[in-house]
Amino acid sequence: MDKYEKLEKVGEGTYGKVYKAKEKATGQVVALKKTRLEMDEEGVPPTALREVSLLQMLSQSLYVVRLLCVEHVDNKNGKPLLYLVFEYLDTDLKKFIDSHRKGPNPRPLPPQLIQSFLYQLCKGVAHCHSHGVLHRDLKPQNLLLDKDKGILKIADLGLGRAFTVPLKSYTHEIVTLWYRAPEVLLGSTHYSTAVDMWSVGCIFAEMVRRQALFPGDSEFQQLLHIFRLLGTPTEKHWPGVSSLRDWHVYPQWEPQNLARAVPSLGPDGVDLLSKMLKYDPAERISAKAALDHPYFNSLDKSQF
Amino acid sequence: MELDLQNPLTTHQYDGVPSLFANESDHMPCLLSFQASDFRCSIRRTALSLISQVKFAYNLDPFLVYLSVNYVDRFLSKQEILEKRPWIAHILVVASLSLAAKMINSDLSISLSNLQREDGFEFDSQSVRRMERILLSTLRWRMRSITPFSFLQYFISLLKIEDPSVTQCLKHRASEIIFSVQQELKLLEYKPSTIAASALLCAIHDLTPPTFSSSDAAITSCEYVDKDTLSECFGVMQEMTREGYGLSLDASTCVTVTEISVLDRQRTSSRSEEGASSSGPGFPERDNVKRRRLNGFCDNDRTFQISQIQQCN
Repeated sequence: MDKYEKLEKVGEGTYGKVYKAKEKATGQVVALKKTRLEMDEEGVPPTALREVSLLQMLSQSLYVVRLLCVEHVDNKNGKPLLYLVFEYLDTDLKKFIDSHRKGPNPRPLPPQLIQSFLYQLCKGVAHCHSHGVLHRDLKPQNLLLDKDKGILKIADLGLGRAFTVPLKSYTHEIVTLWYRAPEVLLGSTHYSTAVDMWSVGCIFAEMVRRQALFPGDSEFQQLLHIFRLLGTPTEKHWPGVSSLRDWHVYPQWEPQNLARAVPSLGPDGVDLLSKMLKYDPAERISAKAALDHPYFNSLDKSQF
Repeated sequence: MELDLQNPLTTHQYDGVPSLFANESDHMPCLLSFQASDFRCSIRRTALSLISQVKFAYNLDPFLVYLSVNYVDRFLSKQEILEKRPWIAHILVVASLSLAAKMINSDLSISLSNLQREDGFEFDSQSVRRMERILLSTLRWRMRSITPFSFLQYFISLLKIEDPSVTQCLKHRASEIIFSVQQELKLLEYKPSTIAASALLCAIHDLTPPTFSSSDAAITSCEYVDKDTLSECFGVMQEMTREGYGLSLDASTCVTVTEISVLDRQRTSSRSEEGASSSGPGFPERDNVKRRRLNGFCDNDRTFQISQIQQCN
């Protein structure tokens, strides 16, 4: 690790601590992620090898944070640990939205910027999904920004374990509550790429509103937030919903007008948002289809 | 998620196909600049013959073998300076097989220790781990190799074949061809997708000749395929497989040393610069491989289906 000079701790990633660091030889600023992936007498554990090489493959996309290299470092017990070295970006979408809500100069995010960020987000998500990988923890903190270039990149793919079709069951407790899809909240054991699209919808709305769309503080409250806006789901709109493991009897709310939740968003944007927030995962728009939605017609796609 | 060479993206759609085509060059060895005198050539020869030795001794998964040869080739094309030590090929083989086994999720530990014992080169586990690390960083952890197998299903889908048994036959034959030509230096200059398309065309040419021109048209009209490069690669590959399969058909019971040397000489004269390396120690072994595979192919019930197809057309 002598190659790097640690500058500051910048956060806790899915894998562990993340440091901003400088590569001494080149001066390049990088993000160092210490992993819990330890070598044993068999060398690199197969799961680590597969996960890191998957990350390496995904990070070929411009819209996924680039994995620059992997370093082996001996820890105190003499066991080598893996450090992932990523490109460093100085801000994330959460900080960016916060800076537009509070501080000296509160103002909405420019509509073209929202459009561009959402397009890049869908590109990155489509890339992951086309490689058979779910992110499962998309949230503004995990979307890093290059403000000068207006580029958005998906980070922290750590838990985005690959899935095979048919989908396997996964453990719960993954997505931060606010961005968590209703099927996950209701205890569905088979979930798919649609969970990420729900999160994308929530992030889209949050960019427009500058505050979270569904800020629940418990799983139950989270569901109530969703139901109050979109109406309590029924078998008619979401076949099978009442047989989900954690389904209960809920207050019956009628769907509200979604446009009122995102007042500054035009009709195309509202239409796209409503397709991302469909209750039935099978009906929810895919990342690839979202890229072709009329909301993006006014965007110059040649730059991406 | 373990690596499946035939489906490296783990999806069953073709959504990931564009990025496979976009990134395949990163997974290509480029050994063309090798001079026959290059020490790496002799390492490659030794390594490949060692790998095929283990393959037969322990009946290894052919995809595992393919992947480890891919690692060896990519490593050698990136590593310019190597100590001229006799054991380098051996430790490289052990590390490549070990990493490939981890990627594919199979347990090789017993075969690997046996190999080392029989081979007379035994490495302590620390040295092997060190070599694994060198291999990983040289390949920049890009261990999910994009190989010709990644494209085979996609190209087959372009042919719009209705009968699944025909699809199976073609895929089987094309895979055999891909396995059998992996050590040909001459083919390393072509991208994995080009190898896949050529192998499929060879298979069609052999098994369902009447559909050849329509299949050729379907594949060459694919946006990712360069027509000229494909036809060049197809030509080279056809010559190779014709030699290989022809030889085994003519002398199905045994291949004499003389015949192999004759073939050797032909190859040397037709491809002067690679001749020296393709006539290495692994060469007779390879023709055996082809013969065994071909026999296996005729034995199974697919042969019946193939003859039917040919009659129908």
